[in-house]
Amino acid sequence: MIAPEYVATLDPFGDEAKNLVEKSPPLDSMPQEIVDRAIARVKWSSREMVVESDIEAVRAEVLSFYLMCQGVAAVSYPYSREARLISDMTKNTIKYRMYDLFKRGHGDLCLEVVKRSIKLVELEEGDVVKLGSVEIPREDLYKIRDRRLAEDGIETIDDRLLPQYLPKYGVRWTDLAPLLRHRRAELTKFYLVNGRAVITPRDLWNLFSAFIAVRTEEYVTSVYERFSDVGAPPKRLTEVGESISSLLPPELELRERFARVPGGKLRPEAFPPCVKIAMGGVGSGVRNYAITVLLTSFLSYARVSPSGRVANRIGDFIKDISVVRDEIAAPIFEAAERCKPPFFKDQPQEKANVYYHLGFGMTAEPRLDGSGKSKWYRCPNCSKIAMSAAPLCDPDEFCRNRKIKNPLTYYFRKLSEQRSGAGG
Amino acid sequence: MKMHEATPEERKQFYSEEWNKRELPDFILHTLSLREFGFDLDGTGPSHRYNQFMTVEKLMEYLQNRAPYSVFASVALYDQPSMRKGWLKSELAFDIDAKDLPLKSCGCTSGKVCERCIDEARRIAIEFADTMRTDLGLHNIVFSYSGRGFHIRVTDDTIMTLEQTERTQVVEYVTGGVIPTDVTMALGYSQVFRERLARTFKGLDEQRLSKARGLRKSIIQKLLAEKERALEAIRRGKLNELSTLGGLGPKTFRQFLDFLVRLNSECTDGKVTIDTKRILRLPSSLHSGVSMKCMLVRDMERFKLEDALPKFVSERES
Repeated sequence: MIAPEYVATLDPFGDEAKNLVEKSPPLDSMPQEIVDRAIARVKWSSREMVVESDIEAVRAEVLSFYLMCQGVAAVSYPYSREARLISDMTKNTIKYRMYDLFKRGHGDLCLEVVKRSIKLVELEEGDVVKLGSVEIPREDLYKIRDRRLAEDGIETIDDRLLPQYLPKYGVRWTDLAPLLRHRRAELTKFYLVNGRAVITPRDLWNLFSAFIAVRTEEYVTSVYERFSDVGAPPKRLTEVGESISSLLPPELELRERFARVPGGKLRPEAFPPCVKIAMGGVGSGVRNYAITVLLTSFLSYARVSPSGRVANRIGDFIKDISVVRDEIAAPIFEAAERCKPPFFKDQPQEKANVYYHLGFGMTAEPRLDGSGKSKWYRCPNCSKIAMSAAPLCDPDEFCRNRKIKNPLTYYFRKLSEQRSGAGG
Repeated sequence: MKMHEATPEERKQFYSEEWNKRELPDFILHTLSLREFGFDLDGTGPSHRYNQFMTVEKLMEYLQNRAPYSVFASVALYDQPSMRKGWLKSELAFDIDAKDLPLKSCGCTSGKVCERCIDEARRIAIEFADTMRTDLGLHNIVFSYSGRGFHIRVTDDTIMTLEQTERTQVVEYVTGGVIPTDVTMALGYSQVFRERLARTFKGLDEQRLSKARGLRKSIIQKLLAEKERALEAIRRGKLNELSTLGGLGPKTFRQFLDFLVRLNSECTDGKVTIDTKRILRLPSSLHSGVSMKCMLVRDMERFKLEDALPKFVSERES
């Protein structure tokens, strides 16, 4: 018998999981076994993904999931390689559990959870197989089955597993838009009839777990934005995040870094509207905020993309001070020059203030070993920008559609989508 | 049919005497105040953007007063179209421009059009719309003649909020722009791909084939000599037979397929489809470059170019 709470192991964003979290102590005061589980999750490969059907095991599972996400948000940034790692691992975990439950005769439970996110219709079986008014040739259904078996490398199959590979459902392709957007699904790979993709239960588990992966990345983003509001994340979370970062596969790290910021340069085409406005120079009312607060934090975090440890000192993430001088401070000073009137002309001391906000203390000559003399300020959230410097906030369609809450989220998300779009 | 540029006087005559608000399609009329309008006033390009009209009468007044060279309206709906702010949603649009078709049986050079290549654009538009109906389950699909080709505009609510990446995938699907894992299935993308590939292959001639990487002259001649059999093989999803007929090795065959797929993709300007803020020629307006009416086409099978001739052209020719 499976407890109703068990669905939380398949959908960590469902009500059952949320209830468990609400009834638990804060995540930063979790016992060691939950902390260990949060870190170990990124290394799971098979049976360890399966959760026992008792409430304590389910609670530990859910809490460790949230701890993992918050840990990553504490030491990296939206759509970072850590965020990608945990979202991919979460996808694999959910998928594995669904395969396992189906095999053990609990397919209905999986279906119940999936139906909360994906609307399904069943193929009509009779003399002919139909989806709505369209008759689907049986040969095509066999081909879909065989292709799926081949994709999973299965040559011989037993009666328990086979039903997972038989086309059974129709799903509206437009409902899969979030997966298409993140290139976690490809339209040309679906067998589309009358607006619906014909899929097997196996596909269904895959699609659902991909949905959870997308939501995991979105959750990491929301936590990152919360940390931007409240300041430094709790120590326990940063410890978890650092441990997860250290487990990042080196080849993935290399590939991601190369893909994300070729040559380590800033990508102005992915800047949000507020930063573009600030870069163009602004009037005297908002100059200080635009230059010292927004551009200084945004450009430094965007350029350095600190991950792997909590971002206290810029010097922990760069090896050469020229990155600060030439790639971060220089464009800030140019933007300041474009202000009306030019910012540093009447307030030359503000030049040192830029370095102060980057964490080098009040100086005009930053040195790597001086990093940490002052606080490295995080990028303010959109709500704060709108309140403190309203003319800077002119949201575009990307801001609105993605419900962006922090300029850095905009930047990293745009890069991530450009990358996945280009990846084909 | 000769396609001459309209004079300023002819434009004036068209908008004063011939333009009728009843020729505006409903999907534009009902959302008029939410669209951005753009104008090319003198033939130098649509530089007058960010216009909003609250009523069709105001639009008419503008057209009659300014007699623009070209008129455009956005595929997007906005809260504030005059500032292009507050994006709400966008039609899914395809631009099939006869002048840019990758293969033309008429021999028009790139950038030129004739009745035959406009007809080829028409056929492609019909194919694309069929796929959107049967495979993608879209229903609110309209065609407009753009002056040099056709626009397909889809206004189903389910797709209007799609963004660039999803729209890119729709373009790939509809054009046959990706080689599928299985080309033999009766329905779905497999079928779309076979149809597109067959159309493209049918349109190839020696000159065009010579541009495919890795194809020696002897292979090209073999493929052309066996064109009918090759086409039959493609239609049946037996792509390996195509390779055998041409005597192509695996690597050359792959390059050849990539070449065909690229030609498939070039049947439409993908940039138009993925751009959610695009402006397109307003159906009912005048394409002054060719003196043709841009118009809604209710029956693509029966569309004739004569339907798009403004009165001043008949007067000019009589």
